Amino acid sequence: MSEPLQEEEDFKEKLHWELWRKVARRALRQKVYVYSLTAVAMFLAGLDSLFPLVTRAVFDLISSGPDSTVDLHNGLLKCGAAYFSLSLALCVSVWGFIYFAGRITTNMSHEIRRDAFAKLQQLSFSYFDRRPVGWLMSRVTSDCSRLADFVAWGIVDAVWSTTYMAGMTLIMFWLNWKLALLVLATMPLVLLVSAYFKKMILRSSRTIRKMNSLITASYNEGIMGVRTSKTLAREDENLVEFKVLSNEMYGASIRNAIQSALYIPIVGALGSVAIGMVLWYGGVKTLGKSITLGELVAFMAYATQFFDPVQQLAQVFTQMHRAEASGERIMELLETEAQIKDRPELLLPIEKDTPCAAQGIEFRNVSFAYGDGQPIIENLSLTVRSGETIALVGPTGGGKSTLVSLVCRFYEPTNGEILIDGVDYTRRPLHWLQSHLGIVLQTPYLFSGTIMENIRYGRLSATDAEVIDAAQLVNAHEFISTAEKGYQTEVGEGGGKLSTGQKQLVSFARAILANPRIFIMDEATSSVDTHTEQMIQKGIEKILKGRISFVIAHRLSTIRHAERILVIEKGRITEQGTHHDLLRQRGHYYDLYRQQFVREKEAEVLV
Amino acid sequence: MRGQRLCYLGAIAAMFAGVAIVYLVPWICQEMLDAVIAGKILNAPRFVKDWIAEIGGQSVLAQNIWIASVAIVIVSCISGFFMYVKGRGAAIAAEAIARSLRETLYFRLQHAPCGFHDRMNTGDLVQRCTSDVETVRNFLSSQVLQIVHALVLLITVLPIMLSLDARMTLVSLAIIPPIVGFSIVFFIKIKSAFTLSDEAEGKMSTALQENLTGIRVVRAFARQEHECEKFAVNNCDYRDKVFRLIVLLAWFWSLSDVLCLLQKGLVLFAGAYWALAGNLSIGTFYAFFVYVNMYLWPVRNMGRILTETGKTLVSLGRLDEILSEKAESAGDRNTTQEAGPPVSVVDPVLLSDGAPISPPPRICFENVSFSHTTGKPVLDGVSFCIDAGKTLAILGPSGSGKTTLLQMLLRLYEPSSGAITLGGRDIREIDRKVLRRQMGVVLQEPFLFSKTVKENIRIGRSQAQDEEVFQAAADACIDESIRGFDKGYDTVVGERGVTLSGGQRQRMAIARAVLKEPAILILDDALSAVDTETEALILNALKSRHGRHTTLVVAHRLSTLMHADKIVVLEHGRTIQTGTHATLAKEDGLYRRLWNIQAALEDDLRQDSAEPANEMAAGMVPHE
Repeated sequence: MSEPLQEEEDFKEKLHWELWRKVARRALRQKVYVYSLTAVAMFLAGLDSLFPLVTRAVFDLISSGPDSTVDLHNGLLKCGAAYFSLSLALCVSVWGFIYFAGRITTNMSHEIRRDAFAKLQQLSFSYFDRRPVGWLMSRVTSDCSRLADFVAWGIVDAVWSTTYMAGMTLIMFWLNWKLALLVLATMPLVLLVSAYFKKMILRSSRTIRKMNSLITASYNEGIMGVRTSKTLAREDENLVEFKVLSNEMYGASIRNAIQSALYIPIVGALGSVAIGMVLWYGGVKTLGKSITLGELVAFMAYATQFFDPVQQLAQVFTQMHRAEASGERIMELLETEAQIKDRPELLLPIEKDTPCAAQGIEFRNVSFAYGDGQPIIENLSLTVRSGETIALVGPTGGGKSTLVSLVCRFYEPTNGEILIDGVDYTRRPLHWLQSHLGIVLQTPYLFSGTIMENIRYGRLSATDAEVIDAAQLVNAHEFISTAEKGYQTEVGEGGGKLSTGQKQLVSFARAILANPRIFIMDEATSSVDTHTEQMIQKGIEKILKGRISFVIAHRLSTIRHAERILVIEKGRITEQGTHHDLLRQRGHYYDLYRQQFVREKEAEVLV
Repeated sequence: MRGQRLCYLGAIAAMFAGVAIVYLVPWICQEMLDAVIAGKILNAPRFVKDWIAEIGGQSVLAQNIWIASVAIVIVSCISGFFMYVKGRGAAIAAEAIARSLRETLYFRLQHAPCGFHDRMNTGDLVQRCTSDVETVRNFLSSQVLQIVHALVLLITVLPIMLSLDARMTLVSLAIIPPIVGFSIVFFIKIKSAFTLSDEAEGKMSTALQENLTGIRVVRAFARQEHECEKFAVNNCDYRDKVFRLIVLLAWFWSLSDVLCLLQKGLVLFAGAYWALAGNLSIGTFYAFFVYVNMYLWPVRNMGRILTETGKTLVSLGRLDEILSEKAESAGDRNTTQEAGPPVSVVDPVLLSDGAPISPPPRICFENVSFSHTTGKPVLDGVSFCIDAGKTLAILGPSGSGKTTLLQMLLRLYEPSSGAITLGGRDIREIDRKVLRRQMGVVLQEPFLFSKTVKENIRIGRSQAQDEEVFQAAADACIDESIRGFDKGYDTVVGERGVTLSGGQRQRMAIARAVLKEPAILILDDALSAVDTETEALILNALKSRHGRHTTLVVAHRLSTLMHADKIVVLEHGRTIQTGTHATLAKEDGLYRRLWNIQAALEDDLRQDSAEPANEMAAGMVPHE
């Protein structure tokens, strides 16, 4: 928890160019689409800037007077042909830019999600310890979409706006440079006003988002704690606290809306100044016959249209800030190096298929601490031989689970080393060890899918018969076969449709099927009844022969039969031996045993 | 709501004004082209003509074209002002409605009966209170206004256009119905594409979530590649569904652009034709051309927005389920609203801050039964009494109705029959809040608020001095742990701060309850996560407060139960045994079976360690 998570996007005045270079490199993986999109957007802008020329031609025709009617009708037809071909081209290019932008945004977000997912599969647990699932989820979902959307639509808007402005400027200067200057005169002011308002709006939107997450948290707490609030008769106080938030939200939203309500009329008024100036100067010139009526009308149109791309461009910069915050978080994820990984310089030159014999595990003066925190394991040494079952007991937080995680290489020792078959395990590939582990956890996790699929997760190549064997071994077959669809029963999200005890059985079968060399059971049967537990024990006795197993358990029946019991307290082994040895020592184990004995019997009486 | 309605009406009025005024700009240009440049007679309201005659007639205008320019700027500014008023008014109205909606929802959720919360899922409720409120807010603050704006543009332009030229009006509006109709039909048709892409997104994020939650399993079996393949299927599907939707939208925008450009072209060339024929002045033609540009794009969006408003109805329906839930205090009979303690036989003792301690009452359960709407009774004719200031322990297997019993005393649920009395008074006659203020409750899984430790404990009694908070924490054996935190009593609890263990949370809740100096103290399996030694310390501390409150304890451990003044054994919602430790230890039953465990332990140890075990826990020796 040492480093605070960057939950709310930070608002920075300066853009982060290094990041955008990386983003651009990613976008350019789809060169064809990016170039096509750019071309189409430019083409579209060109078409848009040509329309007033048609209007000009039409008005010039009309104002030229009724002298040569035939010619005029012919001219009008020509204008009509021009207008409708322009329209057609415009519609096609609208379709085109949406198509290409769609390709870019969907492909890009697909790729980022794919890479982020693959990265998440490699990152060490220390990374996940500090980041809640929800936080990671929004990196891969909303941040990813926001960045990819911005890249695609940002290209459209930026290219279209700049080309459109350039096109209109060129045409206006070609028509009449003095009028062109008049139209452009108010532009700097519009840009300034836009920049100012967009910044203000960006700020108030940020406050709104912050308030929104506070309000969500407040609802969550209000609902989760509703019984406590009722018993404390605190409903009114809670509402008062909530009203503070909802008032702040109100204020921020109003501020945001008023800023928008001000911005649009102000830009509109500035636009009318440009139109007014064109009308005045152009009107005088038209009266003096030095420009045509059509030119005047065209310039009025340009003066009106010129503000669209300017506002669009301002919008791009606003979105850029949010997209940048998203981009930073995604790139941070993509660029994080896994702390635990195969280090080529350390790896022993062994063949990938060398089986993990797991003849022995040795801890040599192992210490471990999470981040900069206090050591959880301190200078611990331990040798385990093949065929041994080690039971770990001790108070919560004493370091039992951490010790087991070190065996699995979910974490690596901060000091000392762990040897498997006589070799420091960091010198072997990660996959070598982890494909020989079988782990059953107290809070078992199943994936949505059928029971069959979940057990088979232990060994993907297992046949149905092998899956059923494994289930029978751990006594899971009974409840599975009584279910309506048997092994094809859906377990629901996270296994939610099964009871905790059933989930433990399924995950036990899954671990057995993996045929592991090292077996780890962390409170694996805490939620099954004593009878079933004994059946499981009998079932796996054969399997555990010739393997190494670690058992964390409270239940005495599990502990009592272990070859060796380790009492772990404050990161050290304080006592070890067989059940009988330890009872005779009258130490911690003796106390733990007494407490647990009473607790179990009480639970039995009160079932 | 009336204020907001006025606000909305004001906003719409301002919108009419703003739109009407901005329509003056094309008119000014039109007169500029016709009267000034083409030299026709000015077509204007009387007061404008009068004013122009005063400054020297139409020719002055031709020499001073800036007058028209200034007029345009002024008109734009006035219209802009009205549009600002519109934006501001609508924002105030919409945000005020959203705020009151949020607050009402919060209030309803706090006051809804426990049965409602048993039924509903937290995530879903939060979703309704945030996303659905946002949908409604967006409807009120943006969608409604955009639709109204498009309508106002059309309604206002109609008389203006008609006064100028009837044929051109017809031409200018000819393709508007197809444009609106096309958007509505199109968006209704492609609704399924939206649904499909939403579903694909849901599947993708579920797959992600499952992988992240089960990351230990993935690693344990080294299934990273398998997981990547599984995710790739969902990821590709999502990409394809979104892309399909985007292509559909590409068709929408390009086809509706065809219609819009057709409408524009129609005005341009019909107008030009009539203008050439001399049937239409250039200025009027120009005005029509500008008008059509002004309303075309808002009208095109109207159809799309209209189809989106369907979501608002769905959201409103979901919110209504919360809003229509009756508050729990409704339907009481003879509820007294008095704020003081319900029973007061002796003069109240005062706390340091002057708050009265209510004297502990005698509590009686008289033939209390309870059953949920369906199913067999949870409690079936339970009767017992606890004398004022005494401790009653309730023992029973899980599902025997212990917790329900306590919840009924708190009036979280009401008995189906029978009555509970405090000092002889039926608790149904006591206002819920007054009742609950008398009680200090500790649940098995207590809830702490995301505030500092000190604030959490002080929730018990907000005026308590710091020393009293520390003392309460010490009584609950949590003072030392708290001082070990980085910021001590100012450490924030929960997601944004330190995570407490189950035992620490239970002790915090005990401190909170004790600080309250309640007349009735309720411990519902409140020491289950606390180790035996600490439990003894806490029980001792509570014992020293003997007589200050009537205490009800639910527990599974003999060590917690044995010192109670009275023990009630509950099974299947009925009282099976009642007595004290001394009497129940002799009677055959649940209690004695628990008591016998001690002897079994000693037997077991004797066998296992092959040595006689002399030591026994001091308090556990049966005193016969």
